[in-house]
Amino acid sequence: MSDVPSIRVAGIHKSFGPIEVLRGVSFDVPRGSVVSVIGASGSGKSTLLRCVNYLEPPNAGEIYIDGEPLGTRIDVRGNRKPRSLSEVNAMRRELGVVFQQFNLWPHMTVLGNVIEAPIRVRKAPRKEAIAYGEECLRRVRMIEKANEYPARLSGGQQQRAAIARALAMRPKAMLFDEATSSLDPELTDEVLGVMRELARDGTTMIVVTHEMAFAREVSDRVIFLHQGVIEEEGPPAEIFGAPRSERLGQFLSKYRK
Amino acid sequence: MSDALKQSLDLSIFWEYRAILLQGLVFNALVFLGAAALALSAGLGAALMRINRFWPARLVGTLYVEIFRNAPDYIMLVWVHFVLPLLIGIAIRRRVEFDPFASAVIALGLVYSGYFAEGFRAGIQAIPQGNLDAGRAFGMSERLILWRITLPQVVRRMLPEALNLFVSMFKATTIVSLIAVPDLMYNVSMVIQQEMRPLPLYTGAAITYFALIFLLSTGVRYFSESWRRKIMA
Repeated sequence: MSDVPSIRVAGIHKSFGPIEVLRGVSFDVPRGSVVSVIGASGSGKSTLLRCVNYLEPPNAGEIYIDGEPLGTRIDVRGNRKPRSLSEVNAMRRELGVVFQQFNLWPHMTVLGNVIEAPIRVRKAPRKEAIAYGEECLRRVRMIEKANEYPARLSGGQQQRAAIARALAMRPKAMLFDEATSSLDPELTDEVLGVMRELARDGTTMIVVTHEMAFAREVSDRVIFLHQGVIEEEGPPAEIFGAPRSERLGQFLSKYRK
Repeated sequence: MSDALKQSLDLSIFWEYRAILLQGLVFNALVFLGAAALALSAGLGAALMRINRFWPARLVGTLYVEIFRNAPDYIMLVWVHFVLPLLIGIAIRRRVEFDPFASAVIALGLVYSGYFAEGFRAGIQAIPQGNLDAGRAFGMSERLILWRITLPQVVRRMLPEALNLFVSMFKATTIVSLIAVPDLMYNVSMVIQQEMRPLPLYTGAAITYFALIFLLSTGVRYFSESWRRKIMA
C-alpha cells in the first residue's frame, strides 16, 4: 500500500482551442512529500494544478489519488468509463486547493467559509465541523478572526483563512496555486510560514510557486515546467544548485539578483 | 370656508369605512405576495435560461424577458383575464374562466418576473469565477453552489433594485380593481358610489398607500443595509 503514491499525474495533455498548454506531464507525489512546480508565466503551471483536481478536465492522461483514477472508473467489464460530475466531485474533495486570489466566499464569515464544505459536502455534524474548523483556524493563527467577514481582512489573513478552509476538509493532499503571488511582499511571509509548518507536519503538497527560496527549502522534489512539458526535475539541491538544462539556468538566473 | 367644502374635505368618512377598506388592503397584500413569489421564481428561472450553455435555452429566456418587460401591466392584466381563458378554452374545447384574483397574481407576476430576471442575471454574472471554482474544488455540486454561494450574494447585490421593483409592484396592485378584485381601490370606488364623496375617499386611499409603502420600504432598507454592507470591501 505504501508504494502507491498519494497523487500520480500520468501523461496529462490539455489544450485550449488550438493552443496545447500541457503536452504530456507525468510525476508522482509520494505521501507526506512536497513537490514544487516552477516555471515562467505561461509555462502551464496553473493549468497543471487545475487539471490535477479536474477544474480543467485534461484532454488526455489521468490523475490518480491513492491509486484511484479521478476522472475515469473501470466498469464491471473492465472498460474505462468517464466518471459523472458528481463522482468527480466526490473524488476531488480529497484535494484541498488554495488559490492565488484566495476566493473566500464574501458573504460568509471566516468560520462560515471553513465549515461550509465539511457540513454541506462531507455531511459533518455542525458541532463537529465547528470544533475542527476552529482547530484549523488555530493552526493558521486566524482563530481570533473567526467571526470577521473576508472584506475586513488583509490579503495575508484571507489567504491563511483559505488555507484553513482547505484543511477543514481533511484532504489527502493540498494544492497551492501561487498562493502568495497576489500578496504584498510584507504579507507573503505569514502565508509561507503556515505552508512551511504544514510541510513540516507531513502534509502531502503540490506547490506552484514563484518563491524560489521557499521551494528550495521545503520541497522534496522540484519540477521545472517549460512550454507544457517537464524540462527538468529533481531534488531541490540539484535543481537550484546544479541545473542541467540551459532553460532552467536562464530561468533561475532571473531570480538571482 | 363653506360647509360644503368643509364636509368634502373631512377625511373622517374614510375612517368610518375602515373595516371594508382594510379588507381591500388585505387583498392588495395578497395579490402582492402572490405576484412577488411568482415574479421571483419565474425571474430566477428565466435568468438561468438566459445564461445557459445551450443557445435554445438562451433564446427562450431572452424572448421571455423581452416580452414581459415590455408589456404594460394593465394590458397584461386584461389579456390574462379575458384572452388567455378564451385561448385555453379553444384548445381544450371547454369554457374556462379565471378567478380575478388568480389573473391579477399571474399578470403582475409575469410582468415583474421580466425585471427580476434581469436583476438575477446581472447579479449572477457579477459573481467572480474564483468563488465558483472554490465551491467546485471542495466537491460542491452545481446546485449547492447556486443556493449557497451564488444566490446569497446575488440577493445582497440586487436588494436595492429589488426593493424599488417591489414598491412599483405594490403600487401596480391598485390596477387589479379593473378586473373586479376587491382591493382597496375597488372598495373605495364602491363606497364612493354610495356616499358620492370622492374627494376624502380618494385622498384617504392615496394617503394610506403612501404611508404604507413609505414605512415598509424605509424600514426594509434600514434593516437590510448593514447586513448587505458586510460583504462589501
